[in-house]
Amino acid sequence: MSAAKAKRREKKMRNQPANVQYPSPPQVESRAENGGGGEGLHLTGTHDFISAEHLFIPQRPVKALGVSLSRSDPFMYARSRSQFSPLSPCLAGAFARARAAEVSAMLKAATKTTCSSHVFQVLPKHMRRRAMSHNTKRLPRRLRDVANRMKRKEPVKSKSRKFNRRQRKNIWLETHIWHAKRFHMVKKWGYCLGVRPTYKCYRPCYRAMSSHCLLQDLSYYCCIELKGEEDKLLAALTQLTCKEAGPTFAAAMFLSGARQGSVTVYRAGRYPSDPLGPVTFLWRPQTPGLTHRQLWIWAHPALKQDLLPELQSACQCSEAVAPPVEPEVSRAEADPTPRAEPNPDNELKAGAKRKRRCKDGSEPPAKRILGDGTRLPTSPVTWRSSSTGLVINDLTMEIIRYRLIGPQSHSVLAETLEAATVCDVSSLQEEFSPLWWPEHCKDQSNMNLHQQQTDVFNVLKGIYSTGELPPGTVLGLTVDDPRLTLPRQKVKAVPCVNQDPGKICYEEKRNQLMLQGVPLQCCQSFLWERSVRDNVTDNKISEQDAKNQTEIEDNQTGWLISMMSQKHVDSARHRHKSSLDYYRLYLSKVPMFSFLSLQVYREVRVSGLHMSLKHSQNKAAPHFPHDYPDCPAGSRFQEEQEAEFLDMFRRRPPAKRTNYIKQGCLAPFRCPWQQLAEEWELLVTDGGADRKGDVQTQMTRKSHEVIEEVTSQQNVAAASPPSCFTVLRNRRSLRLLSSWCRPPTCRGQRRGRGAAAALPLSDSAVTSFHAAHKMSVVWVRLTLLSKGKPEAHAMVCAPTAEDLKLFGKSPENCGPQEPPHKDHYKSRINRKKKSSKTATPSQESDNPTASTDPHSPSDLLQGLWPDPLPSVVSHCSRVTLGWVTQGDFSLAVGRGEALGFVSVSGLLHTLLKQPPELRGTLLLRNPTSLHYRFVRLNIDV
Amino acid sequence: MTEPRNPGMSSVPQSNPSHTESSSQAVEMDPVEYTLRKRLPRKLPKRRNDVYVNMKTDFRAQLARCQKLLDGGGHREICVHGLGLAINRAINIALQLQASSQGALQLAANTSTVELIDDLEPEDPDEAGEPMTRTRNNSAIHIKGQDSNPRPP
Repeated sequence: MSAAKAKRREKKMRNQPANVQYPSPPQVESRAENGGGGEGLHLTGTHDFISAEHLFIPQRPVKALGVSLSRSDPFMYARSRSQFSPLSPCLAGAFARARAAEVSAMLKAATKTTCSSHVFQVLPKHMRRRAMSHNTKRLPRRLRDVANRMKRKEPVKSKSRKFNRRQRKNIWLETHIWHAKRFHMVKKWGYCLGVRPTYKCYRPCYRAMSSHCLLQDLSYYCCIELKGEEDKLLAALTQLTCKEAGPTFAAAMFLSGARQGSVTVYRAGRYPSDPLGPVTFLWRPQTPGLTHRQLWIWAHPALKQDLLPELQSACQCSEAVAPPVEPEVSRAEADPTPRAEPNPDNELKAGAKRKRRCKDGSEPPAKRILGDGTRLPTSPVTWRSSSTGLVINDLTMEIIRYRLIGPQSHSVLAETLEAATVCDVSSLQEEFSPLWWPEHCKDQSNMNLHQQQTDVFNVLKGIYSTGELPPGTVLGLTVDDPRLTLPRQKVKAVPCVNQDPGKICYEEKRNQLMLQGVPLQCCQSFLWERSVRDNVTDNKISEQDAKNQTEIEDNQTGWLISMMSQKHVDSARHRHKSSLDYYRLYLSKVPMFSFLSLQVYREVRVSGLHMSLKHSQNKAAPHFPHDYPDCPAGSRFQEEQEAEFLDMFRRRPPAKRTNYIKQGCLAPFRCPWQQLAEEWELLVTDGGADRKGDVQTQMTRKSHEVIEEVTSQQNVAAASPPSCFTVLRNRRSLRLLSSWCRPPTCRGQRRGRGAAAALPLSDSAVTSFHAAHKMSVVWVRLTLLSKGKPEAHAMVCAPTAEDLKLFGKSPENCGPQEPPHKDHYKSRINRKKKSSKTATPSQESDNPTASTDPHSPSDLLQGLWPDPLPSVVSHCSRVTLGWVTQGDFSLAVGRGEALGFVSVSGLLHTLLKQPPELRGTLLLRNPTSLHYRFVRLNIDV
Repeated sequence: MTEPRNPGMSSVPQSNPSHTESSSQAVEMDPVEYTLRKRLPRKLPKRRNDVYVNMKTDFRAQLARCQKLLDGGGHREICVHGLGLAINRAINIALQLQASSQGALQLAANTSTVELIDDLEPEDPDEAGEPMTRTRNNSAIHIKGQDSNPRPP
């Protein structure tokens, strides 16, 4: 018997009864002495069988049996010994006793489980069910007790080491395990993120977003903390932003700390070119006694690697500091780990071995966050400048961030959270508590603040939805562990609006809150203090304790929370407004895993990256990094996306691939923005003189001339730094452009304010506008006027005069058709194939055409245009203005809706030609279709 | 919903007393310098038989919804609410319902005033300072329609 077999057998036999015992006559006892030999005698299954046989067939020659069984059966042994004596009453008694013992042994063996590992293994295969070991209710009832007992017995293995190993390359969020059980996960930006739930829930998620509440874990966003004197901070930060593109870091409403702001960051002093990406920021309210200000900048992880060096250079913070330095208070207990030189992100991908960071020996091994996804654990997190005294801290993965979208998110929060109970100060006075909250309670001023914040929060409970608060409001609050107030059953959170209709003062308070927002002092939170954050994280109640709810004092840890109400009222005029309100929740690091399930108990849906894209689509807002083609992160994303699409295309069988050349689609997998902007620039500057003529024919003719120019220019421009295209973000210009895109009779024109109303669309206005914004594209929203579902990379085209005439007659008209194009490359590819077949034996006889041919057969893929592309503007029968980056059927509007960019020069050019009542009507064509559809263009400011 | 009839009718002083003068500026505010953003009207709990009429949804669809509530929805009484521009439409719906019920539907209309809030965001935030809010009033109508017919068994 092999070792493994023996082991298996031993395992199987483990639970079997050790021996057969029965009230013994003397001879049996002697037998036991003789043959027992310790634990040797097991009554096993096989022996059972044989002894049973023996029981039923007593006539069998006993001798043979006795030999075969040797001494394992006591009765056999006894009989073989007493074989020669005649049957006696005494032996009959012994016989009966021996049988009784056997029967009892058999019964005992039958009741014991034979296999030790899992109860369900005793079931035949057809009765087994999925996840039986997890849910004992799936077992037949007779086995449930045993299974429950075994489940309880199983020791809880610590999985932290395994988990640590598995997140070496891509960091997990706090809620990873919760998500991994329910979501399709992807590895992106150095994190493991959930894309979408495994169950079908697109529409339920939309419904949750528009009428209830949708939760998202956004903890992967990176937080960068800046500290220093206010004027120095502002001086550094104003280089990165521009007032023209909206309120900046210095805006008074944000500087006070009462509101959260968002801004697009540029490379220092380079506005309007070289943008980096959008960030949101929050100033800490001024604390009395401190001259330093504190600022949090939240950025997408794809943006961080560009943003951080830029911030460092702007603040002149180049020295990496080993321990984090607090400018106001020096803290001895700060992280003592020495940190090495900074490492760029790509080294991480190279798979370099990483050392596990362990802070102290005393620290529990379960602490499992190793740096974060965007940097190495050994890289520094703090930089300071000796000249200005500014300090930059990388707080990534130290603060948890959630987003609750939907009108009822407010009620959900109000139900989940309960302001922290104040500790009894008198009992705490003598001893020092390691927890921050009891210590904190001793100070009366702190308690006053807490009381104020609690009052505001209680008033907030009476508000129906987030939309009633001023946008971007901040409230700092310390709350009790919400796990302690977990509902026993799933309950739907509903707003409680009329809680105290009699109270007039309450009504007044609520009105004041709605008008003015949260008072400034209530925005203060201890989330800003690193020591308090660490204290809360270290002293968190474990999941197990919270579940059992065993004598947890409520005052043990105050959770820190700071809430933001966010509302994008922009562009909301004709849309589902309610789906645009949302909350942002910043929390100190606590077991967030449970927070999610808490929310689910209140019928909140949880969604992933997919829904956040759809959310921004509903808002008609650009989504980072998808819709920022001029940012480095955006262009990186586009390259990745193109490679992915191309890969998908290649994987299809050749006969099933779309021939994009025949469809007249030059770039189905990417949008050559730079080429578009350049071509339109050339067209407009050249065609400025004879614009009055038939532009369509002139354009096609011209642009064909331009192709050679452009392609030749590209070769030249490769050496010299080309002027890059930019996305128009100047608010004033956007507003003007937006008013030009609407028909003048429309209601929007009447409300067009200021400059927009003053300046009608005219030749001179367009020329001056164009001069100000050369080489720029603009973000637009396109609503389909008939049926159709736009797709990504669909073309936005300008309709001809005939198209518009047709459209004017019957707006339900489906739109013109593009004549199918001819694929010249197909024959070339076929010829190549044939020639390569024939030419393979005679390699030396070099094909003369191959050398002259610009495209080698390897990079020719049937159905795709090879690089360099011909003129993208005039390739089709309608002039191309831009492309769509996101398009889908919009549940909010009930029609297809597309978001994308169009060239500003091209758009102005088109608008000038259109009759005023049809201004802003364009055509949209999907890459896989020849059908143009009419769309209405909107520019949301 | 509709255009403000009386801009800056009641500007509310900011929490910070030093900004009271900036809110008094709002009365003669320059439209170029501020962006007007309207907040949603305050919502109240909604019963099954409450119908809030808006100008976005198709008129026929809203009428059909009311009709359905009365016919098959098991409600003897419905409430049609309209705010601002939608008042006309709410009245229209109620009258259509009455006409289609051959006079069996008895209508009782109430009017009210709803307080709405606007946010004024300064265009040049560094100079103009704090954003402002102001309240304005708008009319609303609440039409109660009761079916006086004895219910068919």
